Amino acid sequence: MRAELPAEPSTSESLPPAGPHWVWVNDVNFFSMPDGQAFLIDADAGRMLGMVSTGYSFNSVVLPKAAAGVIYSPEAYYSRGTRGTRTDVVTLYDTAHLKPVGEIQIPPKRASVMPMSAAAGLTDDQRFLLIYNFTPSQSVTVVDTRSRRFVGEIETPGCGLVYPTGARSFFSICGDGALLNVTLTEEGKAAARERTAVMFDGARDPLTEKGIRLGDTWYFVSFEGTVYPLRATAHGVELGRKWPLATQAERAQGWRSGGLQHLAVHRASGRLYAIMHRGGPYTHKDPGTDVWVYELASHKRVQQISTRHKAGSIAVSQDDQPLLYTCFIESNVLDIYDAQTGRFLRSVEGVGQTPTIMVTP
Amino acid sequence: MSRLDRIVESMARGVARRSSRRHFLGSLGALLCGAAVMPLLPVARGAPAPAAGPAGADPGDPGSCDYWRHCAIDGFLCSCCGGNTHSCPPGTEPSAITWVGTCHNPGDGHDYIVSYNDCCGKASCGRCLCNRNENDKPLYMPFASNDYNWCAGSQSGIAYNCSTARIVGRAR
Amino acid sequence: MRRAAALLVALAPAAAAATEPAQANYMLHCMGCHVSDGSGAAGKVPSVRDSLPRLVASAAGRRFLVQVPGASQSTLTDAELAAVLNWMVRTLSAAPVPAAFRDYSAAEVASYRHAPLVDVSGTRARLLSPARAGG
Repeated sequence: MRAELPAEPSTSESLPPAGPHWVWVNDVNFFSMPDGQAFLIDADAGRMLGMVSTGYSFNSVVLPKAAAGVIYSPEAYYSRGTRGTRTDVVTLYDTAHLKPVGEIQIPPKRASVMPMSAAAGLTDDQRFLLIYNFTPSQSVTVVDTRSRRFVGEIETPGCGLVYPTGARSFFSICGDGALLNVTLTEEGKAAARERTAVMFDGARDPLTEKGIRLGDTWYFVSFEGTVYPLRATAHGVELGRKWPLATQAERAQGWRSGGLQHLAVHRASGRLYAIMHRGGPYTHKDPGTDVWVYELASHKRVQQISTRHKAGSIAVSQDDQPLLYTCFIESNVLDIYDAQTGRFLRSVEGVGQTPTIMVTP
Repeated sequence: MSRLDRIVESMARGVARRSSRRHFLGSLGALLCGAAVMPLLPVARGAPAPAAGPAGADPGDPGSCDYWRHCAIDGFLCSCCGGNTHSCPPGTEPSAITWVGTCHNPGDGHDYIVSYNDCCGKASCGRCLCNRNENDKPLYMPFASNDYNWCAGSQSGIAYNCSTARIVGRAR
Repeated sequence: MRRAAALLVALAPAAAAATEPAQANYMLHCMGCHVSDGSGAAGKVPSVRDSLPRLVASAAGRRFLVQVPGASQSTLTDAELAAVLNWMVRTLSAAPVPAAFRDYSAAEVASYRHAPLVDVSGTRARLLSPARAGG
């Protein structure tokens, strides 16, 4: 006689420490925006591990680098869903259970924008979380993650988004093509705000906001596909030598980089990944089915990967067997490739409603 | 947006448009609904300009992406959501803070200044999503960026329902 | 809601004549935030109706109006920006414009424009502080 299946208790799963091939897929949920979400996927197993529910006009979870035991999520809620009193908070979710274990109230001003990685960021020592506000006045909220308190708000008139450059510094990009360097005191208050010289021509060929960082340099790509290295030094931020992603012949064919999250970097190998497509001017948000890979040090293109599906967003894991992830806002399929060979590995279906940008540990 | 849409849309725009509707839902090109592909405007490079109609003529379907006033719109059309070109659906509030552009009216041959006030206070209408990225600039140039939710400027709050296309003046 | 409705009534479809260029540029580059009568949005965008006549009464105030990011970083040329500012001062001011007010010139706008302001709210507060009233 066969043994019966044993009765089971009702429990909740808990998670082990994050693996290098885990990826968060954020979802602003456009057609139902009070219900923002972020999905945690194990890319090796092709399996969903869990999710968090994150409120109205959701941007992205923020992952501290060292194992902090929590992730941060700047969120906005209305007391009656879409109306009533607006409350903005940074929610802390514990990494083992993805449950809210803390909440820091912030001014109800966080920018309600198309999701971008640079809408929030951590200072290099991971202590201060910086959040871009738009009311339409532009400012940055500073939160101390150590004491779990709101520290203050720094006005950044004419300049937007946050690009951390040190333990107590970041820059925003200004509408006239300059940068605004902001330094903080030890306690996270504003110490100085200084504009740089103009770095690019916003009227003719602006930089997309979707810069990626390697070491002390932020790399941006302009609408026409020129790489601008912006290096943080003791004297401020300096523009390095610019170089094009595409050859002249390729540019004549309309090859450009585009997407919602069109750049990614693999830090250990110093490689830049860029979604490419063929299109005319102002197609800087168009998806593509090509990902071109470059050595940042030599500017050499080392790989051209064809994707199975249109890619609007890419991310790369940071280990020594890196994976390349692609997704697209009009689809809820996450595609996974070997980031070095370009070989397609697997898809994970049903990831969110309108997936936006991705974050890897 | 298909290549045909893009060609059609750039023909429909006319030379006089100087700026574009800025709305943050601009990426959802393929989620358009109710949008005819062929333009209402018979504009082609090198063709003679169409004869102007009577002053005040306002041709086309406000529920369609290629209605002349929608030359630079990004968002759900309030005309499909219980509102119209200048009036919000019931219970939603027009945001005073907005983006403004110019569109060519083929009905009377004039260029009009069009204000794309968002209607706020309820969640996405979900119908008639129209999308344009031309002349779009990044977030750090807010007045030329379609990635902001301009309901941030309303007193109702950031819940975005749909966008109007309201005439506020004549450009020339 | 009433104010928004009043706005809609006030901005009924245009008359037959083309909008005067300075006003058209105001609509395209400024009205989006400052709204048609310059009153802005409570708690979000300051009204210019009371501040314009006071600011143009001083050299520092004249400079401020060009240096604010919405003005300095707009795509208007120096001449167009001068024309818009002059239109705003003469049309949107709630109080009488000082008799001594001289129109901005393109050259004057150019001289202020390329020194953008970092401390906008602090400068504005200082320029509009009660101590300066009537100065």
